[in-house]
Amino acid sequence: MRDLLQSLALWGAACLGLAVWLGWGKPVPVVGMFVVSGLAVGSLYALGGIGLVLLYRATGVLNLAAGAIGMAGVMLAWQLVQWGLPAPLAWALGLGLSVALAVGYGRGIAPRMEWREPVVKAVASLGFALVLLGAASFLWSDDPRKFELPTDKTAVMILGLRVTLTRLLVIGFAILAVVLITLGLNRTRIGLQMRALAGNRRLSALIGVQVARVETVAWALSGLLFGFTGLMFGDLVRLEPAVITFLVIPCIAAAIAGRMQSLPDVLLGGLAMGVIESLLTLSDLFKTIRPVAPFVIAVLVLVAMNRGRRLTFAGED
Amino acid sequence: MTNPILLAAGTITLALIGSTALAAPVCGAGTGQPATGVPVKVGGIHGNAAPGDFSSSTTAARAYFDCVNANGGLNGRPIAYLVENDQWNPELAAQAASKLLTDDKVVAMVGNGSFVEMAVNAPTYKAEGIMAMAAGCAVSECFESPNIVSTNQGPLPSTIGAAQYMVEEKAAQHAVCIGLTIPNVGNWSCGAMEEYMASKGLTGSSVLLNPASPDVNSGLLEAVATGADTMVVNLPAGLAIAFLKAAEEQGLGDAYQWASSTPLYDRTVPAALGPYWDGKMFINAELTPWDKGGPDATNWLAVMDAHAPAGAPRDTFSQSGYLAARYFVETALKLDPAQLDDRAAVTAAITAINGYTSDLTCGPYYVGTADRHMPNHAGTMVVVKGDGFETVRDCYEYDSPYFAPILEQEAALGLR
Repeated sequence: MRDLLQSLALWGAACLGLAVWLGWGKPVPVVGMFVVSGLAVGSLYALGGIGLVLLYRATGVLNLAAGAIGMAGVMLAWQLVQWGLPAPLAWALGLGLSVALAVGYGRGIAPRMEWREPVVKAVASLGFALVLLGAASFLWSDDPRKFELPTDKTAVMILGLRVTLTRLLVIGFAILAVVLITLGLNRTRIGLQMRALAGNRRLSALIGVQVARVETVAWALSGLLFGFTGLMFGDLVRLEPAVITFLVIPCIAAAIAGRMQSLPDVLLGGLAMGVIESLLTLSDLFKTIRPVAPFVIAVLVLVAMNRGRRLTFAGED
Repeated sequence: MTNPILLAAGTITLALIGSTALAAPVCGAGTGQPATGVPVKVGGIHGNAAPGDFSSSTTAARAYFDCVNANGGLNGRPIAYLVENDQWNPELAAQAASKLLTDDKVVAMVGNGSFVEMAVNAPTYKAEGIMAMAAGCAVSECFESPNIVSTNQGPLPSTIGAAQYMVEEKAAQHAVCIGLTIPNVGNWSCGAMEEYMASKGLTGSSVLLNPASPDVNSGLLEAVATGADTMVVNLPAGLAIAFLKAAEEQGLGDAYQWASSTPLYDRTVPAALGPYWDGKMFINAELTPWDKGGPDATNWLAVMDAHAPAGAPRDTFSQSGYLAARYFVETALKLDPAQLDDRAAVTAAITAINGYTSDLTCGPYYVGTADRHMPNHAGTMVVVKGDGFETVRDCYEYDSPYFAPILEQEAALGLR
């Protein structure tokens, strides 16, 4: 709890400092609008980051196909709605596709690289992302399209900005995901097994942890999170396969902010990155470098985390 | 009892519909005889990868050339249309031009549609003494180079045209242009719109979005923060839809006046925007609306139906690709057949074009010897209505300091 409060204070101070610096002389409601807008995008970064960390902790795979898996889900959902399927069924099938793709990769390809270095596993997942993106580009032409949810129509006013129920749901779901997954990892048997696998794969297998079963659950859960993130991203930002696929990059930055370990820190880091990125728009000087903000922050976090350590791909000194 | 007038009108209408549907395309010499002999080589480059597919310009040009080849070709010789895809990659764009100009020795470039290749290849076209009769221009180099001339307008005239309509018809006082931070596209076109507003004693602002940034909401808030009363969206359609969705979410549809440059004049846009934008979004069309009719509008569709794949887009770039190909063929048909393989002679003939007209454009098409070419600078305004578009202002010329040197060229050519 103390660590969490420290992180909250650190990120809060960073956002507040930036808001005061860049928003100086501007009406408070205008600055508030940028904060609220950034929270919505940041919650998407956080959600994706949570899925990445969950999977990494259980399987040791940094899944660079997370964005592509979410993209496939939302594109299918959109297509099914266009074909006249009831929207809830289309969303469910979209989420189902994301879960199926994640589990399919987790059962079909990932085990073949079980003992390879983490960087090899990550690059392999990048290949899977490019295959999915290529398939999507082949199946869907470059037409303008829009993905909507009924929750877009309901909104409340916060700091002068009309905030839709969808945006509130995303933030709420991100917090709920952190709480539930943390509880699951700490209080359930499968959570214990996941932690054991993350700690030492060889020993876990020797003491009888059913590696394939535990990993399948992890892939399925992460697929569900990626799918949900993809649906929300398609609704809140834009429905373009390439844009959604490369959403994985700021999600990785959020995961790094949580040291690939702490889900609350991923949440706080993701939210803060979204807010900082949004606030940079207030500066004529900095607004053009907005997209790199998450990576700069991630690099700073990495440098701070690794003071006195030798950073290796395998994660061991 | 049947009304005889209605009956007659119905019969005529049915006959017209039937004749339109069955109309055979008219191309080139129109001999009905396939061309034979050594082909005349013509090149074309399009971009088809992220961020978009601009191949409809070369697809339409190819359809027209195929139609010409089936109708006598160029004095009996067929056109070999060699098309390359630059995939929005500057290196590939340069390679494509090198292949077409050096290896294949094409005599002209026709129907080009790409952001990238024009910026990269403009100096090459000048050095090689070849004319590019482009159809999908967007960057400043495409309009401000001696060896490129395009049938489409690009974002600068289209954005000015949209702002001008909002000033003249909707009393806009402060317009903000929302563009992209792509070099020589966003700042070039939005900057010219600001100049137009200033020239009228009004206020213009720009908000340039980074295309790599996923969040368009901050861009919207930035536009709101300018204090403008009119939003002029100057974005590719996909990004514009996302921007307008964010505006809809904020309930800003009625709080501002909304206009857009051409990318939103796309058949799929009204459905993607939804009923919220019905009657609210005014869009500038670079070429005349698809349903306006007229000989070229009808023939373009007939050519596409007969010679292009069924799924090929029938959009603005397709119209302009068709026109570029038609103007090239008309020019080549007037040339001495012995000079058809002589690049310098073909370039001279294209440069001498002075005043082709078409119902697809509002003004004459010309080339001439100049450091810049922008023959198409008059357009039409439409508004999103139901599942389609409704014309709200027919052909009008754009009024901006940017066009002063172009108007001088036209006066010198006797076109005004």
